[in-house]
Amino acid sequence: MYAARNRLLWGFIMLALGMAPANSWAKAMPDSISLDALAQLYEKVKFNHAKHIRLVRDCAECHHHTTGTLTADANCVRCHKNSGATAVVACRGCHSAQTFSAEALREKGKNIYHMDKLSLKGAYHQNCMGCHAKAGGPTGCQECHALKKAGEAFYNTGRFAPKHAAMNGKHGGE
Amino acid sequence: MKRYKADGVATVDSMYKVSGETPAKWSLLEKLLLGLTPRQYLAQAVRNPFNWILAIIFAVGFPIIAGRFLFGLSWVTHSSCDYPWGLFLGFGLFGMVPLSSSGFQLGTAVEVFGRHDLEPIERLGLLNGLLGYFFAVCYLMVDLGQPWRLPYPMVVAWGPAAVLFLVAWHVATYLSVQIAEVSVAFFEWIGFPMGKRGVRRITLGLTVAGIILSTLHQGALGALFTYAPGKVHPLWYSASFQWLHFFVSSIPGGLCMVIVVSTIARSTMTWRCDDRFRENLDKLTITLAKGASMGLATYLTIKLISIAHDNKWEYLGSGWGAWYAVEMVGGVILPLVLFAYSIRNKKVGVIRFSALLTVVGVVLNRMNTAMFTFNWKLPEREIPHWREVVICITLYAVYITVYRFILCRLPILYGWKTADEAVPAAEPAKGYVGAAHPAPAAVGTYHSSVEEPITSASLSTMPE
Amino acid sequence: MKRRDFLKSCILCGAAGALGVSGKAWGAGSFEGYPEGMGVLVDLTRCVGCRTCEAACNKEQKLPEPDVPFTDQSVFEEKRRPTERAYTVVNRFEPKREEGPVYRKVQCNHCNEPACLTSCFVNAYTKTKEGAVVYNPKVCVGCRNCMVACPFNVPGYSYSSAFNPVVKKCIFCYDTRLKFGRPPACVEACPQEVLTFGHRKDLLKIAHERIRETPDRYVDHVYGEKEVGGTSWLYLSGVQFDRVGFDTTLGNEPIISNVKEFLGTVPMVLSIWPALFTGFHLLSNRKQDHSDHGDSHSDQEDPKP
Repeated sequence: MYAARNRLLWGFIMLALGMAPANSWAKAMPDSISLDALAQLYEKVKFNHAKHIRLVRDCAECHHHTTGTLTADANCVRCHKNSGATAVVACRGCHSAQTFSAEALREKGKNIYHMDKLSLKGAYHQNCMGCHAKAGGPTGCQECHALKKAGEAFYNTGRFAPKHAAMNGKHGGE
Repeated sequence: MKRYKADGVATVDSMYKVSGETPAKWSLLEKLLLGLTPRQYLAQAVRNPFNWILAIIFAVGFPIIAGRFLFGLSWVTHSSCDYPWGLFLGFGLFGMVPLSSSGFQLGTAVEVFGRHDLEPIERLGLLNGLLGYFFAVCYLMVDLGQPWRLPYPMVVAWGPAAVLFLVAWHVATYLSVQIAEVSVAFFEWIGFPMGKRGVRRITLGLTVAGIILSTLHQGALGALFTYAPGKVHPLWYSASFQWLHFFVSSIPGGLCMVIVVSTIARSTMTWRCDDRFRENLDKLTITLAKGASMGLATYLTIKLISIAHDNKWEYLGSGWGAWYAVEMVGGVILPLVLFAYSIRNKKVGVIRFSALLTVVGVVLNRMNTAMFTFNWKLPEREIPHWREVVICITLYAVYITVYRFILCRLPILYGWKTADEAVPAAEPAKGYVGAAHPAPAAVGTYHSSVEEPITSASLSTMPE
Repeated sequence: MKRRDFLKSCILCGAAGALGVSGKAWGAGSFEGYPEGMGVLVDLTRCVGCRTCEAACNKEQKLPEPDVPFTDQSVFEEKRRPTERAYTVVNRFEPKREEGPVYRKVQCNHCNEPACLTSCFVNAYTKTKEGAVVYNPKVCVGCRNCMVACPFNVPGYSYSSAFNPVVKKCIFCYDTRLKFGRPPACVEACPQEVLTFGHRKDLLKIAHERIRETPDRYVDHVYGEKEVGGTSWLYLSGVQFDRVGFDTTLGNEPIISNVKEFLGTVPMVLSIWPALFTGFHLLSNRKQDHSDHGDSHSDQEDPKP
C-alpha cells in the first residue's frame, strides 16, 4: 500500500516538474546585476533587471534571440529565424570586453557576418542608451555610474578640475 | 655729405687720395668713414633727420626682436594653427624675393644678352638682388620656429619631394652666386684685384646659374601654394600656372624696384653718384621700364588665361573679385598704361611713379596670396599682432640702412677709378653718354680688370 | 677652347636631359595604403558628445591640463580645432533641429598620401606600415609648411614654446599602442563605440555593410575612402557631410598631385636653361672668337661718334 502511494507521489512530483513552463527560466533571472567593466573610472552600475523585465517585456529587445524569443531586427532574422536560446544569455557571453586587440581582430575577421560586433561596453551603451533616449531613461554618464576618484582625474573634473583658465587664444595656439 | 663735398673734402672713389703730391692709399677706416674724420662722420650722421627716424625704429624694434627669440613666436604673432604664416613670410619673404629678381635680370641682360648699355645700373641691380634675398632670409630666421636648424635640409635630413627643399637649396646657392657677383665691386673697393679677376672669369657661368636658380625658386615660391589648393582664393590661385604667375610677376617687380631705388639713390646720395650714372640714369630708367612693361603685359595675359582655364569668371563679381580688380588695375593695368605713355613721351617722372605702383602691386599680390585670401573659406581672418608689424618695420629699416651703407662705399653708383685717375681716359664708347668725354670720366668699372694704369702713351693709340 | 668645351658639354647635357625624362610623372599610380594598414571607422550617428575620447587622448599623450573639465559641455558652443594642447576635439553641429545635435570628432586622418609628409623638406613625417602618420620633432625646423598643406587643418604648433616649438598632432597612439597592435586610447575609451578599429580594408567593408543594412540611418558615402587619396580614419554620418564640418570639395587626388606639375618642370629647367642661355649669349656676341671676357666688351660695341 505504501508502495502505491509512493509511486503516486513521485508521479505527481514528476508531473509537476514536467508541467513547469519553459519560462520558469525567469525564476533564475537575477533581479539586480552589477556591471563593473569600467571599474577603474566608474562605480558599479546597479542594474535593476526586474524593472526592465516589467517595462520591456520582450526579452529580444535587449537579448536578441539568445533567450529563445525571436529578434525583431530584419538583418538578423534573415539567418537567425530559427535560432533558439543560447547557453549564456548575459551580454558578455558574445560581446567581449577587448574587441580590438590583435587576436580579437583576427577572430572577428573570420566571421564575415559578425565582423561588426560591438564590444561589451559599446553593446551596453548602445542598447541601453538607445532605448533610454526614446523611453526617457537615464542618459547622462553619472546617472548610471558615479565617477570614482580615478575617474575624476581622468576627466579633469570634480576635485581635479582646472583651477584657472590657462592662457590661450591670446597669443598663438587656440 | 653735400656740405662736405662743397667744402672740398675728397670722396673715396679710388684706391688713392687725391690730396698731396704723392698719392697715398686710403686706409680701410677712412674708406669706411667715407673719407671723413670720425668727428665729421658723426656730425653728418646726427644732422641727417632720416637717421633720427631710424634710431627710433631701432630703439623700439630691437628689444622686440630679442623678445621674439626669448619668449617664442606666440609673443609676437597671432599665428595660429589655421594661419601659420604671417607678415614675416607674407611680406618679408614672399614680398621681398620678387623685388630682388633684379640681380638675375640685369646680370643676364648684360652678360648673356650683351646689353652693355645697361652697365651703369647693373651693379645696382645686383646689389638690390643680393640685399633683398639676404634680408628675406633674415625675415625667415625670425619666423622659423627653430631658426638654428636652418641648415637641416642641407645636411641633416632631406625631404627632396618638397617644394620648400628646392627653395631652401636654391636660395642658399643663389645667395652665393649673388655674393660672388657683387664681390667684384667689393674687391675693387678693398683693393684685391686677384679676387676680382677670379670672379670675372666665371661671370658667365655665375650668371647662367643665376638664371636657372632664379627661375626655379621664384616659381617654387608660387608652387608652395599648390599644397593648399582650397585655401587660397581661386582668383589668386591657379592649379597649373601658380609658379608661372610668381615667376613672371617677379620680372617687372625686380626691374621696377631698381628704378625706385635708383631714384632714391640719385636724389638722396647725389654726392656719391658719378657723372656716368647721373647722365645715363634717365635713359636707363626708360630701358628698364620697357622691360618691366613687357613683363607686366605678359603677367596680365597669363592671369586672364588662368581664370579662363579654370572657368573662374564668376568669382570676379564677388567681394574678393573687387579686391582682385583693385590689385590688377592698380598694380598692373594702370602701370602698363602709364608706362606706355611715358616711355613714348620720355616722361621719366611718370615712369618712376608707375614703377612704384608696380612694386606695391607685386608685394600686394604676394601678401594677398599668402595672407589675405589665405583660408578665405574660414570665417575669421587673422590680424597681425602689433609686435609683428614692428619687427617687420625694424628689419626693413635695417635693410635700408645696410643698403645705404654699401651704396655710400662700394663702387655701385660710381666707377672705381684706376691708379692713374688724373689722366683722362678716352674710353671706347659703350653706347652711353659720357664715354667720349675727354674730361676725367669714370673709367674703371669692372671692365678694367687689368689694373695697369692707362698711360699717355697707350692712350694715344686707343681708338677714339 | 675652354668655352667651346663648356658649351659642348651643356648641349650634351641638355639633350640627355630632354631625352631621359619620363613623361608619366603624374598620375603614375596611387597608393592605397600599406596592406596591413590599420584604420578607424568613426560612426557619427553613435556619438553623444561625452568627450571621453578627448580625456583619453589627453592622458595617453600626456597633454597639458585642459582649461575646462572634459565633462563640460559648454565647449560645444564654439567650433574647436586640434591644437598643441588637444590632439582631438569634438564639435557639435545642429543641422536639423528636430533630430538633435550631431557630434563630430576631429583628429589627424592619417592619410594614405599625406600632404604634410610631401611638403616637409626635412622629411620629418613618416607613414608607418601600420598606417599612422608620425612625426619626428628632432629634425623639425619650424617652417610650418605642413600646416599650410594639410587639407584638414590638423597639425598644431607649439607657438608658446620659445626654444623647442614643434608640430603637435594625433599620432594614432603609435609609440604607446599601435606599434604593439593595440588600438588608440580614444577608441578604447569610447563608451558608444563610435570608433571601430581594424584593418582599413575591413573597415571599408564594415562601413558599406552598415550603410547597406540600415540605409535610412546613413548617408551613402564613407568620407575618407577616396578623399585626397584616401585616409585611414573613415567617417559615416547620418547627415550630409558638409553640414557637419567636413570639406567636401577636396577631390580624390592626393595633394602631391597638385605639386607634381611644378616639380616636373624642375629637371627640365635644370637641363635646358644652361644650353639655352649660353646659346643666347653666343647669338648676342658679335665677335666669334675671344678668349678673355674682360677685353671682349671693350672691342664689341661700335664706337659712337
